[in-house]
Amino acid sequence: MAAVGKHHVIIGGGISGSQAADTLRTLDPDSRITLITLSRLPVYNRYDLPQVFRGRQDWRDFLVQPPEYYRRSRISLRRATRVANVDATRRIITLAHNEELRYDTLLVASGGRGYLPEELAEFLPLLDSFTSFEDAVTVRRRLPEGGHVIMIGGDMIGLDLARTMVETGHRVTLVAGPQTFWPHRLEAGERKQFLAVLAKMGMQVVESEAHGNIETIEPGAKGMPARRIVFGDNTDLRADSIMAFCGLVPSVEFMLGSGVDIERGLLVSRSLRTTNEAIYAAGDVCQIWDQDEKRYRFYYGWKNVRAMGELAARNIVGGDEPWSSNQDESLRVQENGSLYSPFWEYA
Amino acid sequence: MAEAHQQIYLEDKLKEVRESGRLEYRSKALPTWCPGCGYFAMAGGVPAALNSLGIAPQDTVVVSGIGCSSRFPFFVNTYGFHTLHGRVLPVATGIKVANDALTVIAVGGDGDGFAIGGGHVPHAARRNIDITYLLFDNGIYGLTKGQTSPTSAIGFRTPTSPYTNPDQPLNPLLMVLAYGATWVGQAFAGHPQQLEELIRQAIAHRGFSYLHILSPCVTFDKTDKTYDRLEQRVRSLPANHDPQDFAAAMRQAMDVETPPMGLLYVNERPTLADALDGIVVKAGGAEKRARKVAKAA
Amino acid sequence: MTRPAKETPSTDIQVAICGSAGEGTIAAGDILRSALAEAGYRIISFDTYPPEIRGFGKCIARLRVTTEQAYSLKQQSDVLIALNDEHAIPHIGEVRDFGAVIYDGHSIAKLPEGGHVSGHLRAGQLPYPVSLRELCEKATGGNRSRNIVALGFLAGVYQLPKDAFLRIITKKFGKKPGVAEQNQAAFETGYTVGEAAFRLDDVVFGAPKRDAATRDVVMINGNAATVRGAVDAGIDCFFGYPITPATSIMERLASEMPKHGKRLLQTEDEISAIAATIGAGYTGARAATATSGPGLSLMQEMLGLGVIAEVPSVVFVSQRGGPSTGMPTKTEQSDLSAAVHGGHGDAQKIVIAPTNVEGCYRCGGKAFEMAEAYQTPVVVLLDLYLSNRYETVQFGARPPFEANCSKPRAKAAPGEPYRRFALTEDFVSPRALPGEPGAMHTITGLEHNELGRPNDQGDMHERMSKKRHEKLKAALKHPDFTHCKRFGDEGRIKVGMLAWGSTFGECLEAMFKARAEGIPCAAMKVVMLSPFPVEPVSAFMDDCDVVLVPEVNYEGQFARLIQGELGRPVVSLARVPGVPLPVDEILETIRRLAASGPRDAARLVRAA
Ligand SMILES: Cc1cc2nc3c(=O)[nH]c(=O)nc-3n(C[C@H](O)[C@H](O)[C@H](O)COP(=O)(O)OP(=O)(O)OC[C@H]3O[C@@H](n4cnc5c(N)ncnc54)[C@H](O)[C@@H]3O)c2cc1C
Ligand SMILES: Cc1ncc(C[n+]2csc(CCOP(=O)(O)OP(=O)(O)O)c2C)c(N)n1
Ligand code: SF4
Ligand SMILES: [Mg+2]
Repeated sequence: MAAVGKHHVIIGGGISGSQAADTLRTLDPDSRITLITLSRLPVYNRYDLPQVFRGRQDWRDFLVQPPEYYRRSRISLRRATRVANVDATRRIITLAHNEELRYDTLLVASGGRGYLPEELAEFLPLLDSFTSFEDAVTVRRRLPEGGHVIMIGGDMIGLDLARTMVETGHRVTLVAGPQTFWPHRLEAGERKQFLAVLAKMGMQVVESEAHGNIETIEPGAKGMPARRIVFGDNTDLRADSIMAFCGLVPSVEFMLGSGVDIERGLLVSRSLRTTNEAIYAAGDVCQIWDQDEKRYRFYYGWKNVRAMGELAARNIVGGDEPWSSNQDESLRVQENGSLYSPFWEYA
Repeated sequence: MAEAHQQIYLEDKLKEVRESGRLEYRSKALPTWCPGCGYFAMAGGVPAALNSLGIAPQDTVVVSGIGCSSRFPFFVNTYGFHTLHGRVLPVATGIKVANDALTVIAVGGDGDGFAIGGGHVPHAARRNIDITYLLFDNGIYGLTKGQTSPTSAIGFRTPTSPYTNPDQPLNPLLMVLAYGATWVGQAFAGHPQQLEELIRQAIAHRGFSYLHILSPCVTFDKTDKTYDRLEQRVRSLPANHDPQDFAAAMRQAMDVETPPMGLLYVNERPTLADALDGIVVKAGGAEKRARKVAKAA
Repeated sequence: MTRPAKETPSTDIQVAICGSAGEGTIAAGDILRSALAEAGYRIISFDTYPPEIRGFGKCIARLRVTTEQAYSLKQQSDVLIALNDEHAIPHIGEVRDFGAVIYDGHSIAKLPEGGHVSGHLRAGQLPYPVSLRELCEKATGGNRSRNIVALGFLAGVYQLPKDAFLRIITKKFGKKPGVAEQNQAAFETGYTVGEAAFRLDDVVFGAPKRDAATRDVVMINGNAATVRGAVDAGIDCFFGYPITPATSIMERLASEMPKHGKRLLQTEDEISAIAATIGAGYTGARAATATSGPGLSLMQEMLGLGVIAEVPSVVFVSQRGGPSTGMPTKTEQSDLSAAVHGGHGDAQKIVIAPTNVEGCYRCGGKAFEMAEAYQTPVVVLLDLYLSNRYETVQFGARPPFEANCSKPRAKAAPGEPYRRFALTEDFVSPRALPGEPGAMHTITGLEHNELGRPNDQGDMHERMSKKRHEKLKAALKHPDFTHCKRFGDEGRIKVGMLAWGSTFGECLEAMFKARAEGIPCAAMKVVMLSPFPVEPVSAFMDDCDVVLVPEVNYEGQFARLIQGELGRPVVSLARVPGVPLPVDEILETIRRLAASGPRDAARLVRAA
């Protein structure tokens, strides 16, 4: 192969990974860049997925960059590809389909996946997920006109979807629990107030604990809606779909053998470097050292995540800038009476 | 009968030419061979043999290659196909495969059969196609005026071997025996009665019959395979020779110094036609074949 | 696809299956095209084989599935099934954007970087990883039916008629106990997974057309169609020697002919094959041989004998890359000169070349009529592409061939000798066949008189040469045969194409595209290449501003033939890519010619 520059590998074709690839291409024009994603599609914005309820169902309408971008930018996009292991000593990544890749620098931007409380794990097959374009379209297709959705938890991602579904004429029942409003941790009073706001926004709100928590989830009987949820107090709800939105867990399992430090996410310095000098991390997967709080913390939201991707790229090619975020992390009630979070500022 | 008339005519001419040695015979419409050429023996032998076997001339096809000997089809009143140098056997094969009812006689020289056409002999023999192959071995390329052939003796001088031929001659008899011919005989053009009798037997045999005929080229070979020298060397097969004994036939064939005359080997095994019919039966086409053959007859 | 389809679309999908020779690639292609043909689609399909018999060589099965008649494969495939990473990787590029790539999502062997299909997709192509091996092992206990799992997946994803597949699988594997069941299980497994797979590509199979016209449609390749034509025309004898890509003609005849009571012999070489064919022809049999370029070279001397001795014979020549052993598994049209002009002496024979699979059938039968009617060798020129290309063809209820085309013979006056080569008005001399009393004669490769006696005196050679050439002119009016035919725009046109053989399909496709772009364009196929249909071709050329001659050989053999016959300029597009000429390349040339006009066009003439 002709002499090319370094091989930068990025695990994760989300907002932070794709931003990092783009920045790396600009800063290091001769390098090889490989962007690995589980998705079968080129990079798209997941925060746009609720739009499937507004009639957008062609994946081409969701793309961050057109397909030609990757060739033009010489970014090798590895789709439908899972990283199984990272050998930090030999700088070799093993892909789940049994191919090995050598890297010079590695950026882990594998994000997180939905957290499911242990007591619900057994009902997983009966829950619809909403993490990919395919999921979103599948849910959309499954729901009848004006169909009924039960949302367990209701983190900020979920609430975004929930309000879209309400706005598009669906019935949404929120089964509220400890993860509602995640990542925000609210005082009891504030929580109650905000739940009331959600109800006003058109959702039916059910406190899980008040009904003795979820006892079981089962398929609906013939002629009935597809799902049934039963609470400890024997009350039940029927719906066409049940989804759980209970916050995220970082996707780090393939990093376990790499030797880098992991708490819940990958621990990175303020320059987004892990404990291995060739490995950086960005986005939902990482916890960044917070000098003031003296702890590693997560930063959520697409604006943060994108900034992380860009910063990591700069530091990978020799920079040494520290992370700082001035994102507004508040949650409040707007004048028109609906809930507002800057997290939802994407449209 | 016209053909009977012609037979007699040829016989007469043969005798006439032998006796008179008139040179102008060559330019006449009848055999263009040099007077005294060994080939005149077949001009008489083949018609006589056919006649005695009762095979009608219209049911006979004489096929030849290219060479002096291959001119033969023009001199018999049967169907004839004068083909290409070396290709007498495959053409004869096509004729016989297409029409079992025909008696097919292939004629050619030593160059035709064992130089250019040498690749075809093994296959005609192994398939045991029911044709008769009369090979006239004069050890020379007669038609092209006397060059070395694959049966020319070592030391033989010709225009293409002016310093004499260094190459070991082939032994066609050994070869065809090894190839699986089911009827192998040898004759000498100087002994026309025996030749005619062997031609008759060869045609009568069901399967691939190979008759090797030692036949002097009086024009271009004045030193080696001449009538005189061959006359001295040829001998009869031993009285106790068993033509069913393959090993004995091979031993006899190996003797090139005193070549044995007569039937060296004979054996019965299924012919190509038998094999092809067998395939038709296996494929379930026997009834259709019978109808076709009946229609043709 | 996620965009709703606007109307019931007419289907035009090309699927490529790429793997190694031993992985069932071709078998999968075969099942796919057979099943889809049975379901009522039209198919054009062409497999590319490795030179090795088995082992690790690459092979690709491609099929274009349509509801309307198509004439060639498309340049881009809509779906690629990769059964082998190494072999499929170089071909991923042929899948169009928003098309699908189906592959095994896991390799048991450790792959180096770039060793897996998934790493080579363009961002616009849609990946469909399937656990082919794992699913196959679960369904069948082994991994031999991975190809069938992949087929099942394809059928599941696109909701292709499952029953047709299962029937074809049973038919194909039914003989070996258990094997059909295994493959059905493999198919079902793949189908279930495919059905559940989320479709992201925009490949749409519309409903097949099922009407009376499509009911008796047969899925058949060029060689098989040729065989069917030969059998329907009553072939009596066949002699052959194996050579790619003609071998399957002989193989198929070997199983077919005996069923009809006919005989086939594998000879020791091609010389023997044509010699025996001519021998059989001499007896009145309808006889043929089949070969490729190297064999045609060996046959030339004997074909000359056939010409001068006026014996009917048929030679099917499926061309491949030459000269010499050349490219035995690549297609080419470079034996035109050898077929038309090959051999020594003035030895004109009849040469015809079908342009599609149905044409193979017609030429395969008509060749016997012509050989018999004009008493001459007839060469039928196919090529690897056409020989191996499958198309859906509808056959009539009764074969369109005459059982006897021999010129009838008047009863001879008693005592009058039979004149085998009698000079007649149409220069064809009635034949007597061996077995007939009173008409004994000898034929020869020597120049001869009317009786067949060797004769090179006076103007005999002149008269007989004339006879042998003049008699062929009647072949230009041979009944029920398309000697040449014009397609496309009528009247005055900018660019006219003259094409022969398999390339005509690509020319038609290019012509349709050019016309859609507003370029007045027509294409004429020339099926009879010798004797040359001078009049209709000339009339066609009169209508064209420029005449383009696309063909797959280096020398522009057809362009030269036209120039030799008509003395008029043509533009030659002669290329030897080893594969069919890309439609886009023809189209591009048409565009350039249409833009530049006849004057500049002359400059494009290469080497002619
Ligand atoms: C439905 C939905 C709605 C959202 N709405 C909002 C919103 O309104 N506002 C907002 O700010 N944020 C929103 N988010 C969250 C926001 O999208 C995330 O913060 C952001 O996606 C995180 O980006 P990331 O690049 O860190 O990781 P992700 O976007 O999670 O991407 C992770 C990438 O890593 C890949 N990956 C994971 N594991 C592996 C592996 N083992 N091998 C290879 N690749 C792997 C994945 O395929 C993916 O490409 C939403 C998310 C979802 C799903
Ligand atoms: C292809 C080809 N090569 C060469 C020749 C010339 N040629 C004609 S006959 C002959 C040799 C004849 O010798 P043989 O076969 O022994 O026959 P004979 O004349 O001795 O009977 C040759 C070389 C030819 N006719 N065709
Ligand atoms: S040249 Fe020899 S073989 Fe030929 S005819 Fe004369 S004598 Fe016979
Ligand atoms: Mg000789």
